[in-house]
Amino acid sequence: MNLLSALTPAATRHRVLLSIAVLALFPLLMPFHALAINILLFGLFGAGYNLTFGYTGKLSFGHAAFYGTGAYGCGILIATHQVPWPVAIAVGMALGGLVALLIGALAIRTRGIYFAMVTLALAQCVYFAAFHATSLTGGDNGLRGVNLPALQLGSWRLDLLQPLNRYYFMLGFVAVAIWVLSRILNSPFGAVLEAIRENEQRARASGFDVERTKLLSFVISGLFCGLAGALSAINLATVGIDMLSYHTSGQVMMVTLLGGMGTFFGPFIGAGTFLAMEHALTAVTERWQLIVGLMFIGLVLFFPKGIWGSLLARIDR
Amino acid sequence: MTNPNPDALLETRGLTKRFGQFTANEGISVHIPRGQLTAIIGPNGAGKSTFFNMVSGAFAPSEGAIWFDGRDITGLAQHRFAHLGIAKSFQVTNLFPDLSVLENVRVAVQALESGFDFWRPRASRRDWIEKAERLLERVGLQDKRRFRAVRLSHGEQRALEMAVALAADPKLLLLDEPTAGMSPEETRSIMDLILALAQERTVALVEHKMKLIMGVSDSIVVLHQGRLLAQGSPDDIRANEEVRRVYLGKGAH
Amino acid sequence: MEITASLLLQQLFVGLALGAIYVLVAVGLSLIFGLLGVVNFAHGAFYMLGAYVAVYVYGLTGSFWACLLLVPLAVGLLGLLAERWLIRPLYGRGVDYPLLLTFGLAYVLVDSVRMVWGVQGEAFATPEALRGAVDVGFGVFPLYRLFLIGLCAGLLLALWLFIEKTRLGLIIRAGARDPLVLKVLGIDVGRIWLLIFGLGTALAGLAGLLAAPLRGVNPEMGGSVLIEAFVITVIGGMGSLVGAIVAGLLVGVVVAMTTLFQPEFAELAIFALMAAVLILRPNGLFGKS
Repeated sequence: MNLLSALTPAATRHRVLLSIAVLALFPLLMPFHALAINILLFGLFGAGYNLTFGYTGKLSFGHAAFYGTGAYGCGILIATHQVPWPVAIAVGMALGGLVALLIGALAIRTRGIYFAMVTLALAQCVYFAAFHATSLTGGDNGLRGVNLPALQLGSWRLDLLQPLNRYYFMLGFVAVAIWVLSRILNSPFGAVLEAIRENEQRARASGFDVERTKLLSFVISGLFCGLAGALSAINLATVGIDMLSYHTSGQVMMVTLLGGMGTFFGPFIGAGTFLAMEHALTAVTERWQLIVGLMFIGLVLFFPKGIWGSLLARIDR
Repeated sequence: MTNPNPDALLETRGLTKRFGQFTANEGISVHIPRGQLTAIIGPNGAGKSTFFNMVSGAFAPSEGAIWFDGRDITGLAQHRFAHLGIAKSFQVTNLFPDLSVLENVRVAVQALESGFDFWRPRASRRDWIEKAERLLERVGLQDKRRFRAVRLSHGEQRALEMAVALAADPKLLLLDEPTAGMSPEETRSIMDLILALAQERTVALVEHKMKLIMGVSDSIVVLHQGRLLAQGSPDDIRANEEVRRVYLGKGAH
Repeated sequence: MEITASLLLQQLFVGLALGAIYVLVAVGLSLIFGLLGVVNFAHGAFYMLGAYVAVYVYGLTGSFWACLLLVPLAVGLLGLLAERWLIRPLYGRGVDYPLLLTFGLAYVLVDSVRMVWGVQGEAFATPEALRGAVDVGFGVFPLYRLFLIGLCAGLLLALWLFIEKTRLGLIIRAGARDPLVLKVLGIDVGRIWLLIFGLGTALAGLAGLLAAPLRGVNPEMGGSVLIEAFVITVIGGMGSLVGAIVAGLLVGVVVAMTTLFQPEFAELAIFALMAAVLILRPNGLFGKS
């Protein structure tokens, strides 16, 4: 047993603190702070998705619906109705969970692989609805004016237009979110999710209400993704219709797969790698989609555990 | 429907299962006596596994009724069965492959408690862990508790299957070919365990090894081509002409 | 615009023609899914490829009939290669992996097409011989659409005969129930998989060719068709060919009819239909539970 595998149990126990520490140091180690925020928020999106895909084992193709709804919910409240940002974020998050409840209730009744098809189609409904509700969402042009320029508390003011400040503001939310996520994964509920992923039939035979559990995990996942969307709306000050498209669902799948399904920190590693690559490569080529496609194929054929997952597996040996 | 037989822990009336054109079980009416060891035998294709699947809630019957402990349980959702006190160990090993041996049993113990706990660490529920460890001791797997289930030998996996089924503390334990693929020593130790279990709860098992069960069963149910052929004590069955012709007559092994 | 019986009939006919294209796509998807257990997320991309191969072949030969022959062959061949080298390694690894892979494959195919032909799209004219309309007594119907429906019906009949009446079809049906049966009989399962995947993608490619004169050719055309094909599969019932046919025609008609009255709601209508099916009959109209 080498040093790394001896450290693993302790690292797992303190995974939240370690993750927050890494995320806190991250922007200080790289010059692209705006990119860092995107990575942070997409990592959160991935962590939410990971709950459904990596931990429960259900491949959903519709998670953009929760992310985008969270973004539009928060965005519309701030831009059109000048609602205070804590309320707007909370509502965005709750809407993400609500859409997950609706889509989940319909989709969970179907068997196995159909789940991917049904979630995709139902998420397209949401895309379609937002596309045509132009007075509400701006349709194809998107929603502008989701402005939160600063935090004001008496005489203390934090300028949020500075990317670094904005990063740490968002990190506050992400830190709490991953702490909650960790507790959920560690709880008896988390054990049921793993059991379902390992052997759904056995879980049912042992006495677990599998359908109810899957739906709950889906809704919780929707809440996290909705939060990521709401924060993204504030970060970018706009909400684009592409946040609801199935390409975004594909991106979060990629990020989770790349990082390592079913690992705690994997989604952030995946988000970091993916967005960094996108940042670097779209500057030199238009064939980014081709590269993403090849990455998917390569990952599935040769590298299904992803970066972090493969690393952890090596250590465990 | 008339009142169920009070001596029977489980009783079926006219239990039928069809898969499209194919009828796997037809009109099976049997009872599994309380506190006894019942063996379910029959040639291949007799429908024994289908019957077990219906009685454990995995399949919904096409027709007929199932009574358990005086209660009509026909058509209940599968996950309710463990809570009722019916547990089955599967014919093909059916565990949680990447979870540890201990976790396999611990999660089965947890399953009996309803409600969702999202917050407390699972390790804080010592009662679940202790119960799981006691069950592992019973089947002799406590030394392997940190191993991933998929790394156990075949015989050890069958033992783990048993522990997982026992985690439900079932009144009725259904064992689908528990000695399949086992060496003679493994078979002996599993049978010892089964006999010990039969002292404290009702056990029903599907088996092919005739010599094994004739000696130990209190009651025998014979299925043939999806129907009930005979039910009774081992002596009754040995004496039954039809059974001899169909099954025993082919050369008891 | 006055809604006459004649107009309704015309639009119904348009719907059936559209439905015919949907049916070809959905049947291909259903074949691959029902017999191989693979959800082919690249199915829309193969549809698009069919249209582009048609543009290429037409550019070379000037013959629509050459396209009819060569497009399914070319796209089917590509499908064979994809099955053999990309998808086959994934069997037994869990149902999600082929799905993820084909999703990536779709991106590769679409962007490759952009590389070769650009992002603008191409025009594809209705073939000379099939232009104009035919008076069938109770109405005048475009010849091309008549041809479409007829061709599709003929293909489905041929497919049905193949699966139900030939030895190879029997093998396929047996293999669908239990792949082990095939192995025991000494039949090369790999060849069957190749055949099914090739056939499924060939149908998609053919649909793309047939749709080209009606809907144009552009790299994104596969995206919406894929989603429509999924909706059709959910409505019709998973793994049911009859379901794919009925649902495909139904969806085509629904889209055409709503386009007549309220074009923006055409998509919404089929989603609403799908939601209704999911609530009332979660396994689809013809699905096996």
